[in-house]
Parts: sequence; C-alpha cells; structure tokens
Amino acid sequence: MNHIVPFYIVLPLAAAFLISILGRFIKGFSKVTAGFIFFTLLCLSFFYIFSGDHSTIVYNIGGWEPVNNIPIGIYLILDPFSGFMLCIINTMAFLSALYAVSYISLYTGENYFYTLLCIMVAGLNGVVVTGDLFNLYVFLEITVIASYALVAFGTEKEELEASFKYQVLGGIATTLILFSIGMIYWYTKTLNIPDIAGILNKSPDEKIVQFCQLMLIAGFGLKAAIMPFHGWLPDAHSSAPSSISAMLSGVVIKAAGLYVIFRLFFNMFQLTYEISILITAIGTLSMVVGVFLAIGQWDLKRLLAYHSISQMGYVIIGVGMGMMILANNGNKAFASLAIMGGLFHLINHAVFKGLLFLNAGAIEYRLGTRDLNKMGGLFEKMPVTSATSLTASMAISGIPPFNGFFSKLVIIIAAVLAKYYILAALAVFVSIITLASFMKFQRYAFFNRKSIKKAVNEVKDVPFLMKFSMIVLAVLCLALSLILIPGIRDTILQPAVDVLMGKNDYYINLLNM
Amino acid sequence: MNSVTSHIEIIILLPLITGILLFLIPDKLKLFKGISSILISAVALFFAFQTYFTEVFNGQINLFELRFLSLPDNDSLLSAVTAFTMLNIDSLARLIVLLICFFSFLILIYSIVYSNKERALKNYCSFILLTLGASVLTVFADSFLLFIFCWGFLGLTLYKLIKGYDEESSAAAKKTFIIIGASDGIMILGIAIIWKITGLYNMSEISIGTSDAIRITAFLALLIGSFTKAGAFPFHTWIPDYTKYAPASSSAYLPASLDKLLGIYFMFRICSEIFVVNQGLKLAILILGVLTIIIAVMMALVQHNYKRLLGYHAVSQVGYMIVGLGLGTVLGIAGGLFHMFNHAMYKAGLFLVAGNVEKNTGKEELDELGGLSKFMPVTYIAALIFALSISGIPPFNGFASKWMIYQGIIDFGKQPGLASNLWIIWLALAVIGSALTLASFIKFISGIFLGRIPDNTKIKEVNPAMWLPVIVLALVCLVAGVFAGKLVVPQLFGPVLGEISYTGIWDSSAIALLILFSVILGILVYLIGNLNKFRKDDSFIGGEVNRDQTGYEVTDFYKTIAEAPGFKHLYNMAEKKWFDIYDLSKGVVLKISHLFSAAHNGILSNLAFWVLAGLIFMFIFLLL
Repeated sequence: MNHIVPFYIVLPLAAAFLISILGRFIKGFSKVTAGFIFFTLLCLSFFYIFSGDHSTIVYNIGGWEPVNNIPIGIYLILDPFSGFMLCIINTMAFLSALYAVSYISLYTGENYFYTLLCIMVAGLNGVVVTGDLFNLYVFLEITVIASYALVAFGTEKEELEASFKYQVLGGIATTLILFSIGMIYWYTKTLNIPDIAGILNKSPDEKIVQFCQLMLIAGFGLKAAIMPFHGWLPDAHSSAPSSISAMLSGVVIKAAGLYVIFRLFFNMFQLTYEISILITAIGTLSMVVGVFLAIGQWDLKRLLAYHSISQMGYVIIGVGMGMMILANNGNKAFASLAIMGGLFHLINHAVFKGLLFLNAGAIEYRLGTRDLNKMGGLFEKMPVTSATSLTASMAISGIPPFNGFFSKLVIIIAAVLAKYYILAALAVFVSIITLASFMKFQRYAFFNRKSIKKAVNEVKDVPFLMKFSMIVLAVLCLALSLILIPGIRDTILQPAVDVLMGKNDYYINLLNM
Repeated sequence: MNSVTSHIEIIILLPLITGILLFLIPDKLKLFKGISSILISAVALFFAFQTYFTEVFNGQINLFELRFLSLPDNDSLLSAVTAFTMLNIDSLARLIVLLICFFSFLILIYSIVYSNKERALKNYCSFILLTLGASVLTVFADSFLLFIFCWGFLGLTLYKLIKGYDEESSAAAKKTFIIIGASDGIMILGIAIIWKITGLYNMSEISIGTSDAIRITAFLALLIGSFTKAGAFPFHTWIPDYTKYAPASSSAYLPASLDKLLGIYFMFRICSEIFVVNQGLKLAILILGVLTIIIAVMMALVQHNYKRLLGYHAVSQVGYMIVGLGLGTVLGIAGGLFHMFNHAMYKAGLFLVAGNVEKNTGKEELDELGGLSKFMPVTYIAALIFALSISGIPPFNGFASKWMIYQGIIDFGKQPGLASNLWIIWLALAVIGSALTLASFIKFISGIFLGRIPDNTKIKEVNPAMWLPVIVLALVCLVAGVFAGKLVVPQLFGPVLGEISYTGIWDSSAIALLILFSVILGILVYLIGNLNKFRKDDSFIGGEVNRDQTGYEVTDFYKTIAEAPGFKHLYNMAEKKWFDIYDLSKGVVLKISHLFSAAHNGILSNLAFWVLAGLIFMFIFLLL
C-alpha cells in the first residue's frame, strides 16, 4: 500500500505539466484533466482514511533504505494526521476546480490558472506527506509561489499590489524558516523529521532549540496568517479569484501554516509549557482582533479574509490548550478533547469558509462587485447562493445544527473543563461578534431591497457547476456535524488527534521500522 | 415499551420529517403544503393530548429507546451518542408540549388564508413544522447538549420566519438573530461550567447551589438564555422590532407564545430544579422582573404602531412570570406558570387579531384606523376579551394568574430576608404595571375598533379560517379565567407543584358569577330606570383633559405622560436607542473595530514591522 504515497504529489505535478503543454492545443483539456486528477486524489485520500488501517505508511524516495536505523533518503510519511489534511486539501481542490469551470470566464488564461492550481495542490500535498524538513521547505515554496501568481491572476493594480505584499512578507517567512532549518541541521546533523525528533529527545532543552522554535513559529505563523504576522492575508485573499480565495483561506493557510506548526511542535520538538503558552496567546490574539477587524469591513471578501484570521485563532486555541495540558502533564482526556475540537474546527472552517468565498465569487460573477453597499435583494434573484451562504454563515457563527456549532462547543467545553475560563469566555464572545458580522453580510447582500439598482433586477443565479460546488459544500456543512458521532469520529478525527497526542511515538515508530 | 412513550416520538419525528420533506415541494402548491402541515400538526396535537391525559410514564427515557428510533442491540456507531440523548418526561413538560402543538395547529389553520404579499415567506410551513418538532424536543430534553442543540436551532427558525423586505425589516431580522444567537452562546458557557462542576449533563440529575462565583456565573449564563428567549429586560429589545415587521402569524407563533413557553419553562427548570437560588440572586431576579413590567409598559403607552405596541406588552407580561417564578414559593411559581399559560393564549390571540386587521385594512398605524367594530364584530369581541384578559380584569384568565402572583408576593413577604422585606414594592409595581396595561389597551381597542372610520372603505369580516383560531383562544381565556381556582390551576400545575393553597378567600367561579350578576343587575337598572333619560357627557379620551376645540386622536392618549418633564427626556433617549443593549454593544464593538482598522493601513513596511515586533516580543518572552 505504500506505493500510493508519491501519487499525491506526482499526479497533480504531472497534470500541471500536461495542461501547460497540451492545454493550448486541445480545447477544454485543462478543465477535464484538472477535475479528473483532483477527483482521483480525493478518492486516494479517502481510501487511506477509510481503509480502517491507521498505521503509518512510509515511502523511501529512490529506495534508499536506512543504514543502521539512520535514514539517509527522503521519507514520505502518511499517517492519520496527514491523511486528514489530504482529505481537506483534495476535496477543496476538486470543488474549486469544478467551480472555476464557469467562474474563470471572468479572467483570461484558463490554462495558466489550472496549471497553477495543480502546482499549488502538488505543493500542499507534498508539505503534508513529507517527512523531511528541507523537503518540506521546498514544497512550501512550490505552494506559495503558485499562490503568488494566483493572487496576481487578475493583473489589475489591486491584485498586483496584493501579490507584491504577499511576496515580500512571504520572503521574510521563507528566510526565517530556511534559517532555522539550517540551524536545526547544524545542531542535529540530519534533516529527517523523525530522526531530528529522536536526537532532540535525547538532548536537554537548549537555547538554540528554543531559538529555532521561535523562528519557526514566526515563519509558519506568517504562512498561517496569525496575528501579528497576518498583514498580507486580507489583501491577498480578497484580490485572488474566488475559487483561489477558497483554496487559500480554506486550505493553504492550514496545510502550509498550521499543519506544519502542529506537526513540528508536537512530533518533532519536545513540548514545553512556555512555547505552548506562546502559541495559545497568539491564537487568542488572532481570534479576538481578527473578528473586530472583520466586522467593520464593507468589502465582502475582505470581511471573509479577516474572519479566516479569527477562525484560525479558534483552531490554535483548541490545539494550544491541548499543548498546555500535555506540557503540564494534565488530564489527557481534556487535552485530547481540546485538540479534537481544534482539528474539528480546522476541517469545518475549510468547508464553510471555502463555501463563503465561493458565494462571494458567485455574487461577484453576477454583480461584478464585492462592496456590500452595492448589493441587495439577492434573496429572490439567487436562491441557491442565498441558501448556501446562509448555511455557511450559520456554520461559521456556530448555530446548530451546522458543523461550526459542534466544533466551537467542543472547544468551549474543553476550555472550561481544563479551567481556562477566560479562553472559553473569549471564544463565546468572538462567536457572537462573528454571528453579528455574518448577519450583516446576509442583510446587505440578500435583503435590504432598497439599495438595489436596476441592473440587479435582471440578475440570475450562477451556472450549474458553480451551484453544484456550493451545494456540495453546504451539504458538507451539515454532514460534518456527524463526525462527532463516536463511530465516525474514531475513523476520521480521533486517529489524527492520537498522532498529535502520541508526541514521541511518531519517531519511535518510524525509526524502528 | 409502554404506550405513552410510543406517542412521544410521533410528536417529535413527524413534524421534523414532514418539515424537511416540504422543502422539496415548490411554494406554488401553497394550499397543499398548508393543508398537509395542518394535518400533521393535528396528529401531533392528538398525540400530545393523549400523552398529557394518560399519566402512565414519568421519568427519564432515552431518545433512542423510542419505537422508531430504537437501535439494534450491538450498534457501536451510535451507542455512545445515547449518553447525550436522554429525555425527561414529566407533567409540566407534557403540558408545555400540549400547548406547543395546540398553538402550531391554530397558527397553521390561520396561516392558510392569512398572507401578506410583501412579507410572504418561502417555506413558511416547513419552518413552522420544524419549529414545532424542535420545540417539543427542547422541552423533553434532559441532556443539556440535546437541549442547547434544539434551543439554538429555534433561533434560526425564528430568523427564517421574518422576512427582510426593506431596510428596517432586514435590520430587525438581523438584530433579533444576533441577540438570540448571543444568548445561546452564553448558555453554552453555563452548560460547560455545570459539566465541569458536576460531571453530569442530564438536567434531572443536577442540583447545585449558588454559593461561589463560578456557580453564580453558570446560573446567570443560563438565566440570560431564558430571559432572552422569553424577552425580559434588558434582553427584550428584539421583540418590539420583530413583531412590528414580521407577519402577524409569525409574531403570534414565536415571540408571543412558543418563546414565552420555552423561556419560562427553562427558567422554571433552572430556578427550581437545577439550582438552589440564594437570596441575592432572588432579589436581582425580582428587580429585573418589575423593571421589565414597568419599562415595557411605559414604552407601550406611547406606541403608534399597534403591532409594536403588542410587542412591548409581550415583554411587559414576562415581568409577571419572572416575578412569580423569582419568588420561589409554591404559590408564586404556580402563578408565574399560570400566567405563562394565559399570556400565551391572549397574546397569540391579540397578534392574530392584529393580523386580521392588517389583512383587511392593510394599515399598521393606530391613527389610520378606527370604527372596525361594525365591520368585524367577531374579531372585535375576541379582541375585547383578550384586552380585558391582559389587563387583568376578572373573570378572565389574566386576572386569575395576576391575582395568584399578587397573593404569592404577599405570602413571600412573610419570609425573612431582604427580598421579602421589600414585598410591598414588588406588589405595588406589579399592580401599577397592570393598570398601565389597561390604559394602553384602551388605546388599542379604541384606536382600531371604536371611533370614526377614517374613510369609507368597505371592510368585511375575515375568512372563518382566520377568526376561528381567534375565537378558540378567546374561549380558552374565558374558561381558564372562570374556572381557574378550583379546576384549571390544580389540574395544570398540581402534578408539578403539589397542593397549591391560596392565601385569603378567592374563588374564581364565584367571582365570575358575581360579575355576571352585577352586569345583569346593571342592565336591569338601566332598562328599568332611565331608558330614555341617559346622561350626556364628553367622550372618554383616556383620562386626558378635554379642552375646547381640540380633537384628540387615539395616538395622542398619554401624550401628557410622554411630555411630562422627567419622562420626556427618558423617552427621547429611548427613541435614540440609549437603553438598547444591542445598540450599546454595537457601538462599542464598532468603535474598537475602527480603532484596529486604523492601524491596518496596508503599508508594506508597517506589515513587515509587525512581523519583526512579534518576533522580538516572542524572544523577550521566552529567552529572557
């Protein structure tokens, strides 16, 4: 079974090359290929999750076997946490590719679009499955370079500016990451993550390791856009084509940012209480400040972008609380609950935020504006968009029976159980403001008929494939609630939580293979 | 499995499933949807009756032990969920469920004819049925998680039952949902704390004191939830806005009846069963209760829009229930619960009356209306009964329950403690509130039904489907009032509270007879005495001074109050939303938002500076 691992990277990469070569000769080739490849990847990801076998799969690139238990080649490691991320990445990629089939007619150069999308997905899948620190950096760069190009895809003044800011700040992040990878390599003499974990575990906690940890938090924090490293996100996410915004907000900041932070700090470094506090603190900061920034926005996609910062805060405080409890040797059950809440919110956020950006794209597709003040009365004109966006808004605001309710519930209960009352209260408070700002979105976009112009009266709902993607995501917003049912949770969520909870088991298992 | 529990799942499942199925049927088949949902609610009502009157089963049962939901023996997928799906069935819950089904049935009958082009809702019947099913589940829920799940969902249906057709109505819908959603969020906090303290999540197993700060926080968090749902001060501000812009049937259904039932029912649960309330909290609840009564009724006095006026009364009456429940004595609780029952009856009736008037005239302001009593006699008589009920005039039901609350307050005064020593204040304010209610309903009745007709339009009585529910409700008001003491209250609340003993002599039926007798006597005196020699006097204009040359519009009633030196300022501030918790917090949040936005000017060097600052801060934190 370990031969499926490289396909996550090879397939989209191959598709990218094929599309850029053949796409210009064969009409519709890019759409079909991209859709097909993403669907295959989707099936592969679910195949691993539902195979019932939650063991870790290792693939040695080039067949380089370890010598004396010391790995010398690059490992690709597929474990339940990676599998969990792969499901999110490839589902969202598939749906945004479908959505883009009609949507991309707003832009020119659809071959480039699909090429870049495929490269981005290849990079993301690579980040998630790789077991090598430098390899991770390479895949990260592949992802973000594709995203730079995609953010600038409209090539208008605004898009180029956003992309430029993104590149400069991304460059800073890259420097920080590369620098600390170098330091770690110098300190441990290896780049293999399990191997590094083994060496760090034996040596006592040193300043140099802490230094690297901080650099990595800043670097990947920039990719994950957590406060105060979020400066690029509102511009980039709102300027990109909407199907890409859905990918950026729904997937990229998670897979290229949060996933790496969680993976490295749980499984590679030794958990320390100080670092846990630091991570939770910046998570709280993002959560609170992000939502305040969001509620004042009138640009729909900017509003959504700021909410991404805030919602990432929820994920981080969930997992961060788990870190603090584990580092304190507290109650494991509470830690597991908190981490589960965080990861559950992560997958939920991918779905509802992806959907919200697709909704914003649908409105932009018909009205050509992102300004809430220029919308209105779309409730009757665009029923599917309206219904799905209500679903997503309810989900992000934590209204039952949608998925966001459950993940927030788990996070809040975990916070109270672990006696982090202030975090629980803040989570509730932010949730209320989130609700308020999404009621604003609903009100100004879909009701409020007076601000409607004559042009709006002739608006129709969007083409079928755009509707289809939105409906699938809306159904997922409901269906993901079921993940909490213990039988399903043990298949999807709990194995991923166990990987993080297991901390050192990661390297112990891998090195003794 | 005994017969009673096997009815419960029908009441729960049937409306929910049909509600979802009806989404699939296009709105063009409105009549079909309406009739099928009436049938469904009739079935639910029938089984609710059976459940209520055959007292076989009381206690806890799991949702998944019910007939249609029972799991296979070794179902591992769902077996762990069952820990969170306990139901608690007792006589109060069954009563509330019966009422919920009753109102759903009436409202659905009413809505089959009632419609308002501008405010017509999509999937109206679906949402009514979903509300029905979710409310029943909320009432029966024993597990806090099941409870908050359904309770939160009701906020969503409330939002879907109002339509944002212009600026104001969409703002009202938004405000409603934000306030309701906020309270639900706060409740989650309370539930989590209870879970933390006790390790339990089934309400029937929990009994905790309110001794330390953390327990009080949990209690207050849950109390906020019930206050917001029921619409008590200071979380009431969504109700007047909602009732003004929502279709009358939605207003009659949710804010007037179901939300009151659920909110007060939950308040009963937390105050009497889950928590042991201490003296300080009791005092706070009583203060909030009387404030609700007085503030809302003062606002109601000066309203010009009759639906908004009713909305303020829907708030004011909650105060009585809260005072009753806050007393904590058997009589007080019985009074509070009985008032909840009565209020649901007459206030739903009043909103339906308002709907009738609106349907026939298309007008919403009191000063555009008048003289409808000739054209709509059935509606008029029903409205009169409701108005007398809500104002606490014997022999109608509003009097009976208010009287019980007054008795409860006097009784409460015998206990030691600060809250008890102040009993005379609670009593005085409650009575004043009742008097002001009467005053404002004089305005309502005379503004709509009496006086001159503004123009010579031809108005007919509404369709039977619209006056029938109103008449049914009016009859309930009368019957519940006349037979309150001996029959209705012991039957409804005896099983919950045990023997209810009144202080003083009170027999509602005897009073009803006396009143009937005095009315007949009065008529006799009138007929015998001076059939032709009646006295001429100026028309009654709400107690205002009748000046020469001034015609008093109904809307000018109580203008003297609104323009009295102290009050004028307060009313002006209320008009500018100075006291609205929603607008206050909105202002604060937006201020903070602008503050943060100002820092985000998008200049690249600033962004890079933040990254650096963050990094340095982390170093300082960790390495020093």
